[in-house]
Amino acid sequence: MEEKVGLAWHRLVTHWANNRFPDAAVNLSQLSRATAILFRALGGNHALMVQAGSATLHQARRNWLQILAGSDRKEDLAWVDHEALRLPPIIDYYSDAALNRKLYFWLAALCAVDNRTHLPWLQHNQQATQWLIENYPGLAADYTQLVQAEIRRRPSIEKLPEDAARLEHAIRQALLVPGSIKQLPSARWSHAPVLLWLRPASSSNEVFLAENEQDSTHTDHNAQQKDEIRRTSRRVELPKRKGGLLLFHPESIFSWGEYARVEHETSENDDDNLVQAADDLDEISIATDSQRTAKSLRMTLELPTRHIDTSALGSDEMLLPEWDYRTRERRINQCCVKLQPMANNAPCALPEHLLTLQRRLRRQFAALLPVRQRLKAQRDGLEIDIDPFIRHLSHRTDSDNRFYLDQRKHERDLSCLLLADLSLSTEAWAGENYRIIDAIRDSLFLFAETLSDIHDRFALYGFNSKLRTNIHLYPLKSFEEVYDAGIRGRINQIASAHYTRMGAAIRYATTILSRQKTRERLLLLLSDGKPNDSDHYEGRYGIEDTRDAILSAKKMGIRPFCITIDQDAHDYLPHIFGKENFTVIRKPSQLPRNLSFLYAQLTR
Amino acid sequence: MNNASNNILKSIPPTTDTHIAPPPYFSNENEISLFEQAYHNRLPVLIKGPTGCGKTRFVEHMAARLGLTIHTVSCHDDLSAADLIGRHLINHSGTYWVDGPLTQAVRYGGICYLDEIVEARKDTTVILHALSDNRRILPIDRTGEILSAHPQFMLVISYNPGYQHLLKGLKPSTRQRFVALTFDFPNAAREAEIVQTESGISAAIAKQLVTLAQALRNTANHDLEEIPGTRLLVNAARLIQSGCEPRRACQAAITECLSDEPEIVNALANIVSAVFAG
Repeated sequence: MEEKVGLAWHRLVTHWANNRFPDAAVNLSQLSRATAILFRALGGNHALMVQAGSATLHQARRNWLQILAGSDRKEDLAWVDHEALRLPPIIDYYSDAALNRKLYFWLAALCAVDNRTHLPWLQHNQQATQWLIENYPGLAADYTQLVQAEIRRRPSIEKLPEDAARLEHAIRQALLVPGSIKQLPSARWSHAPVLLWLRPASSSNEVFLAENEQDSTHTDHNAQQKDEIRRTSRRVELPKRKGGLLLFHPESIFSWGEYARVEHETSENDDDNLVQAADDLDEISIATDSQRTAKSLRMTLELPTRHIDTSALGSDEMLLPEWDYRTRERRINQCCVKLQPMANNAPCALPEHLLTLQRRLRRQFAALLPVRQRLKAQRDGLEIDIDPFIRHLSHRTDSDNRFYLDQRKHERDLSCLLLADLSLSTEAWAGENYRIIDAIRDSLFLFAETLSDIHDRFALYGFNSKLRTNIHLYPLKSFEEVYDAGIRGRINQIASAHYTRMGAAIRYATTILSRQKTRERLLLLLSDGKPNDSDHYEGRYGIEDTRDAILSAKKMGIRPFCITIDQDAHDYLPHIFGKENFTVIRKPSQLPRNLSFLYAQLTR
Repeated sequence: MNNASNNILKSIPPTTDTHIAPPPYFSNENEISLFEQAYHNRLPVLIKGPTGCGKTRFVEHMAARLGLTIHTVSCHDDLSAADLIGRHLINHSGTYWVDGPLTQAVRYGGICYLDEIVEARKDTTVILHALSDNRRILPIDRTGEILSAHPQFMLVISYNPGYQHLLKGLKPSTRQRFVALTFDFPNAAREAEIVQTESGISAAIAKQLVTLAQALRNTANHDLEEIPGTRLLVNAARLIQSGCEPRRACQAAITECLSDEPEIVNALANIVSAVFAG
């Protein structure tokens, strides 16, 4: 009963204190692509994606109702970092949905303005606003509306104490006439957050921690990240002490806003409310622990950059470089690629469930590919060739009587290497009794069947990685081998494991392709997500390295193309491959059928 | 009838009217003098550049400037050598030969401009080889004629390097016979000037249109396959000049022409709204 009354009271007070407009709410998910395009159009970096950012804690004065309700301690502000453009997950500040929408576009535009000039927060926001207003009259009109709405939303000057009123007045002046305020007057409280400006830079003193590159097999696919929100966090070191002080229950995260350097024993907890708890924390501290729990919470954390081990590898295996976008250098001998021939592969026939599709593809391919070429001036043929006939009439030469058109098979001078991602993520279910890896296996089967039918030169490789020292390449079929039951046996054996260090695999495939003597060389990449590994190889680092590998391949005259089933691929693949060099398959189950058709389209 | 078979008619030489004023062209760098030098040295010219950056206008301008006729052929994937060289046709008295645009230019002088040459079939480019080196000859195997190029003949080809099929490109052996000029979009001030001259629009709107174009070009390769050329801006400016509301004009003449994906078109409309106040 007490609990119920408490809950009702909380709801009521929160409702009173609430100054939001849920009816006019606009979600980032509806606008993420449109804001991303505006961001890029106004000069934003192409490698950055749009993501939801976490709310920012502020020290502004709250009214008694907000204090009572315990609300409004945080505000959703936008910012841009080296990985992404972070926008509020939802905007419902204004009563007009159109205005909330305009705020999204305004923030995306503000993020796009060059922020390499390290001006203080106040100056930067004013200057960026000024620049946008001068150059984009449409945005300027929106800005005027937004400023009016923002000023109505802000605490009224009359009700504020004197110093806070002065501060608020200055903020309003800076909003109305950008560039007019050089410095804010000091006040006891911080001003209310300015929604039209970007977040002030974080000042947390960050702890950098070098971590051993250990065999981290800890990939918990049960752990679901329910949102895409980026959480402010830092790395800390766990004290090396035996014996814990307390039993740590994850729900106590409610009360642990600041990290105390005390080791807790970890225990199982079946509370589903962990996401809420994480949201309530201002900053999340992360430490490495040897123990594992069955339940885990996956979230995207905004961590300071880890120290990266960049020592060159020295071994006699195939060593490849890796690109570091931060230093803009291609470090040599960073990755070690190991060829892993498939062992114990019993020869096998084409799986029965593919037979019908294979027959249909074979029929359709005969029509799709221009494997036939029209030959003019033949002695015999299907149609009359009018040109030599007229020539014959005009010259009256009896010797030349080749008046027919014929058709003949056309030699296709190309080699194609298909590189399939065999990382653990392909273990995910794509439908009932059908995993992504099954879709990839079926695709490989049908692709090989089709290409051997039309006599194109092709090779099949699979890859996955376990850190930069163990990049496995599985040769399923080399260019020299003939596709037969033995090769089918190898395809049948493919299994998923580990991660996706895409750059190194592409560089290796490039070296194989560059040895091919054909006029055209195609590199098809079959992927299910972003490049990643269990070390620093993730996010922008992985994307930029893969991009570098693709650019090198293009320089060597190889034509790369990516086929992915990742529905979010539009965020990063254009940067890696270019707009026209990739395609997204909506359903993994469509992959086996579509792969061969795509190949036909690409090479017809 | 017997005579008719030997009666190889040559088409009438085109009349060269050197008094046409050259269509306006705003030079970017030194391409006008380079083109003139190539013409005087009888070198063929290759022009590379994105769609709508002024390649065709430049060639027309140069033709008028040098007082040459221009034979423009827009290449397509079914364009055969016969379409360029010429063919026999039949009339009531038998057959007769008709020069193609290339042969005409070779025979009587003038510029033969092959637009988007990579689109043409591979055998088409081979016939250009003997014409584009120091031999300057065009063998016409159907009539047995070996035609030496007129002193005023000039070969100009163009293509758009950004727009390529996976398996189409210009062969190095072809490419290396030409003097190459790379075209890009003019800088903002000059582009605004071009839009203004071509459409008669006010300087302020011309500037806004160029701002829009530059924003759209920033998204190239990521969201758009093709970036908007100056031509699209001129089209939009003409619509605005004749009374169309600017946002509507940009939508019709620019954004809808750049993509067919509704999501992208909507996103581009936001960029238009950022530039033009409603």
